[in-house]
Amino acid sequence: MTYEPCIQLRGITKVFGAGPTAKRAVDGLDLDIGSGEIVALLGPNGAGKTTTLDMVLGFTTATAGTITVLGQNPTDAVRAGRVSAVLQTGGLLRDLRVVETVELIASTYRAAPSVEEVLARAGITELAGSKVQDCSGGEQQRLRFALALLADPDLLILDEPTAGMDVQARQDFWAAMRTEANRGRTIVFATHYLQEAEDFAERTVLIANGRSVADGPTAEIRRQAAGRRLTARFEADAVDAVVRNLRQRSDTGRIEQHEDRVSVESANSDDIARLLLGELSGYDLEIEPASLERAFIQLTSDDHELTGSPS
Amino acid sequence: MNLTYLRLELRRLARDRVTIFFTVGLPGFLYLIFGAQPDYADDAVRDGNVAMWIMIAMAGYGAMTATTGIGGTAAIERMQGWSRQLGLTPMRDHEYVLVKAATAVVIAALPIGVVYALGAATGAQAPVEVWILSAIALILGASIFALYGLSFGLAFRSEAAVSAAGGSLVILSFLGNIFIPLTGWQLAVAKFTPLYGYVSLARHALTGGATVDPATGDLIDLPLWQTVANVTVWTIVLAGAATWLVQRGRSRQ
Repeated sequence: MTYEPCIQLRGITKVFGAGPTAKRAVDGLDLDIGSGEIVALLGPNGAGKTTTLDMVLGFTTATAGTITVLGQNPTDAVRAGRVSAVLQTGGLLRDLRVVETVELIASTYRAAPSVEEVLARAGITELAGSKVQDCSGGEQQRLRFALALLADPDLLILDEPTAGMDVQARQDFWAAMRTEANRGRTIVFATHYLQEAEDFAERTVLIANGRSVADGPTAEIRRQAAGRRLTARFEADAVDAVVRNLRQRSDTGRIEQHEDRVSVESANSDDIARLLLGELSGYDLEIEPASLERAFIQLTSDDHELTGSPS
Repeated sequence: MNLTYLRLELRRLARDRVTIFFTVGLPGFLYLIFGAQPDYADDAVRDGNVAMWIMIAMAGYGAMTATTGIGGTAAIERMQGWSRQLGLTPMRDHEYVLVKAATAVVIAALPIGVVYALGAATGAQAPVEVWILSAIALILGASIFALYGLSFGLAFRSEAAVSAAGGSLVILSFLGNIFIPLTGWQLAVAKFTPLYGYVSLARHALTGGATVDPATGDLIDLPLWQTVANVTVWTIVLAGAATWLVQRGRSRQ
């Protein structure tokens, strides 16, 4: 795939407030997203995901750094109808009906798809006559998605799009999103559902404390970040020495001991396996991939320096 | 002008029965009680009568309530993220303001039309130009109170605050020489309150810039420059407050 930049972030920093109480929400973030990519921004609450997306949408200006969206500044890209978004919360008038809301937003575009078509694509045709306040959280989220489709955008930004949805609604939502992705749209979504990143994103950027701590193909991120979990058994009197040995190494993560079984996490699983079976005389070795959940905790916790992070 | 948006805004308002009651029903009712019935209604005010004097006050009260509500709702909408949703569209801020202003004019015209129709039917009298000039002054002046509602909404960030802003208009109307004619120190204070200038200006064509002492029947002169100064200063104060509050809200985001 030829690489056409869709979003370029260079040294983006956003500081809220001033003086000793100033909060650094985004801290020197560099990010390139190409056209047609589907990218997950994965991170815990407060990691800086929403602030970053707000800057890409032109809602907030960066304290430092430059942002280019589809070759222009964010506000111009939004006004040209080339970027749209499904916002995390709010953003709807509760006393309007669903169809009226779509009509209203459609009226702000010079050329928009028909209201009926957009309602159908978002799967809310049967809700058209309901008032927004009578819709469930998931239904309102689909309405926001319908509004985003009115722009016929090149870039679609989703901030925690399935928050408040039940499992079925979530599956339906991502099915609809997949259809949009197949139309060639670039999709960037923020989530803290790890499963969503794994299921839907080709590429995942892990964000913690306003920085990118890992960035790559989702499968790669998972492998690189978590590495594997190795478990082996040892002679009872050797266990303490094994644990001590493993703790001294720089390439091991969390270590757990249960009777004669010791498990250790590492991105460097081949070397650790040799060590466990060779020098440390372990047996019954098991190696399993760590979950993305665990990877996430490991990568985004403050006290853990990730080995092999590109940032 | 986005006419679809205007149409939907008006439809929203038409669905809001409580607001319609307070902006149209209540002023009409107040006029019938205090303006149309009593024996003073036919007393002369220059070429018109007291019923006309009260009719202008009630129409103005309805118009202010309407525009205060529009401004307040706009503030609430901003806080609930609607401005973010609009920020994702090609629509610019000034187009939104235009739609809201047009909505305010239409909704302010409603109580004025209803109360003036009731007035015409129940004995309010004045030369034709007084009817026209007072109505124009009421419509244009009502827009100031959109800023009043907006400032309240932005400052206190709740729907209750917006209702309170609407409610405060009753008190300010009494303080502003609007519902009942004031004299002495009360009238002196009234000239500094925000509603005084608006209604006095709308009544100017009727009264020629005078008010009556209800006890003695003597005329008290209300200089036009004071009326104009009141409207000007309060417009600047409210516009300044609204601008400052919008900027404060933006820097918090």
